[in-house]
Amino acid sequence: MSLSYLLEQTLNGVTLGGLYALLALGYTLVYGILLMINFAHSELFMLGGYVGLGVLKLLSDPATVKATGLGFLEPIQAFFMSGTVGFVALLVATFGISAIVVGILGMVIERFAYRPLRHAPRLAPLISAIGVSIFLQNAVLLWIDSKQLPYTRADGSAFVTAQTAFTIGTVHVSTMQVFIVVTSLVLLALLDTFVSKTRIGRAMRATSQDGEAAGLMGVNINSVIALAFFIGPALGAVAGVFNGMYYGSVKFNMGFVPGIKSFTAAVIGGIGNLRGAMLGGFLLGIIESLASGFVSNAYRDVIAFVVLILVLIFRPGGLLGEAVAEKV
Amino acid sequence: MTSKRRRFVAMVAVVASLALVATGCASKTDTSDTGGAKTTEVVIGIGAPLTDGAVALGQGMVRGANLAVQQANETQELKDLGIKLSTVEGDDKGDPTTGGNVATQFVSNPNLVGVMGHLNSGVTRVAVKIYNQANVLQVSPANTAVDLTNMGMANYFRVCTVDSVQGPAAADYAYKVAGKKVAFVVDDATVYGTGLADEWAKQFAADGGKVAGREKTTDKDTDFKALVTLIKSSGAEIVYYGGIYNSAALLSKQMKEGGVKVPLMGGDGIFDPEYVKLAGAANAIGDYATSVGLPLAELPKGQEFQAAFKAAYPNEAIAAYDAYSYDAANVIIKAIIVAAKEVGADKVTTTEGRKAIIAAAAKTDFEGVTGKVSFDAKGDTTNKAITVYMVGPDGTWAPAPK
Repeated sequence: MSLSYLLEQTLNGVTLGGLYALLALGYTLVYGILLMINFAHSELFMLGGYVGLGVLKLLSDPATVKATGLGFLEPIQAFFMSGTVGFVALLVATFGISAIVVGILGMVIERFAYRPLRHAPRLAPLISAIGVSIFLQNAVLLWIDSKQLPYTRADGSAFVTAQTAFTIGTVHVSTMQVFIVVTSLVLLALLDTFVSKTRIGRAMRATSQDGEAAGLMGVNINSVIALAFFIGPALGAVAGVFNGMYYGSVKFNMGFVPGIKSFTAAVIGGIGNLRGAMLGGFLLGIIESLASGFVSNAYRDVIAFVVLILVLIFRPGGLLGEAVAEKV
Repeated sequence: MTSKRRRFVAMVAVVASLALVATGCASKTDTSDTGGAKTTEVVIGIGAPLTDGAVALGQGMVRGANLAVQQANETQELKDLGIKLSTVEGDDKGDPTTGGNVATQFVSNPNLVGVMGHLNSGVTRVAVKIYNQANVLQVSPANTAVDLTNMGMANYFRVCTVDSVQGPAAADYAYKVAGKKVAFVVDDATVYGTGLADEWAKQFAADGGKVAGREKTTDKDTDFKALVTLIKSSGAEIVYYGGIYNSAALLSKQMKEGGVKVPLMGGDGIFDPEYVKLAGAANAIGDYATSVGLPLAELPKGQEFQAAFKAAYPNEAIAAYDAYSYDAANVIIKAIIVAAKEVGADKVTTTEGRKAIIAAAAKTDFEGVTGKVSFDAKGDTTNKAITVYMVGPDGTWAPAPK
């Protein structure tokens, strides 16, 4: 096994880790504020993938326009399908719309499924979250399709073609890999700055430390929580679109496994801790990839979860700590 | 500490209840009117993955079996006997536990005497015992695990051939005809996938080829990037995948995108138009699949089936098991007719009638749309033809050059 092989597997792992990290941020953000595990988060990731596919098809698949009869989209498609500007605009639109739609859905879920249970025993919102998760899965299964859908245009061409961004020795790094890793790092940096530097961020931290006291000091707790339920799912949706583009398909139950893994990543890094979620995500992705490449693909999850157990034995609060004193 | 422990307990409860819900089963029941006073209602169950697993293949099984039943209901023979056939679908999700639930549900229906299904060998392994106890005839269009007919289940038959025929035939083709000397073998850790991949690897090595690597994934995986890198470093000239089309298609796609431009070969589980759609035609061209029997177009009855299918389902394409399901359903229908003549139409749903149906199925002998349909003493088909298909430049499966 050569050095370039190690490098290539690490790259696979870093990319996978970027996805886990984006998803883990959503778990950790909500946990940090509400001490609640949002089990519906993996379904919001899945929905992000579907919304993204829908947007891509409407904006850059002529066959979809023909099939749906939305003729007015034709000139819009012509713009999105021409040149670099159109392509960048297409990506911005896809990620933006997907994040906003899913983010709003996250807020709606919080309003109707979690807020009424905020003062109920801890188990109640957890079960409610499972209910939402099952509801969303079945809604997609019944109303969209039970089949796995390819993340391509109707004629089978990819929206984002796999291109080599640059080469290290014999290892090709694809634009998609660079895109995923850079985006997740930038989004974390933005979120981190937002939470630590802005006024609303301070309100979030205050709410996570002591919701009632923060409320007495004039913080509008409901809107702070709603905001957390917008940001988390929006990041999840971005991961969902990336997942579709990178691995090539969406399915109604695709969120389950990445959801569990990202939750694990959040726990490894220290749940409630934003940088911890990021670290945990990349670490888990790299470990999985190396385990798969150097031991056996069948042992990938075994090794990843052995690492989780070891981390929890030696650092029960996760690598960067649970951030109890200053959650978020 | 206690609150942490409580949290942990809650999590365990959550995971457990999730697992329970995931295996719960949903099924649609067709209710049809019982007709005239003398008409006996006889039900055939269709056990197939309809919402999870190889859904495209499962939907094809429903199409094939329903077509056979519709045609039978229009024949004078059944009308004279006073039998009205109907079907009921059970969604096994390609999962053995769910399949067991479906089987229990099927046998609780007093009018159900036969089951056309299941797709997955792992599901049948659980379900066949339940059918056996209730004297329900099971005819599978698709189970290829070798050991299923060695379980001593007299009620079990299959119209497709097994891994020990299909795997080696595919390996021979890869080595001798396609001229591939180094292979990488992957399976999806299911009964079907592992069995097929093992048989393929064994024969490929026996032919003189080199199996450079052997790996497992799961049937729900979508991320094969690490595996692709491993395959690339192994220098394989062909990749064999034991499993179904959903994961196989993504593996092929990620292989080609990751610079591993060698064909992927699979069994009947990937022989579906959905495979090309998911992989993307550009990636799938040149990939191989084997399927049991001869191409429909080469069989006289096969062309009749294609015409009838087109009339019944104008918007659908024939998937891997539509024709096999049609033949499998006909095995059950013909056995019901023989038994009805023997014990009387009103008694076919009794234990005596059910035993007569199973006995009649063992003596099956007719020209089906996939070739001659008859069984050996164990319940395996006597039709052992295998055809190798390849995705052509137009993005559809066609018989591969010999």
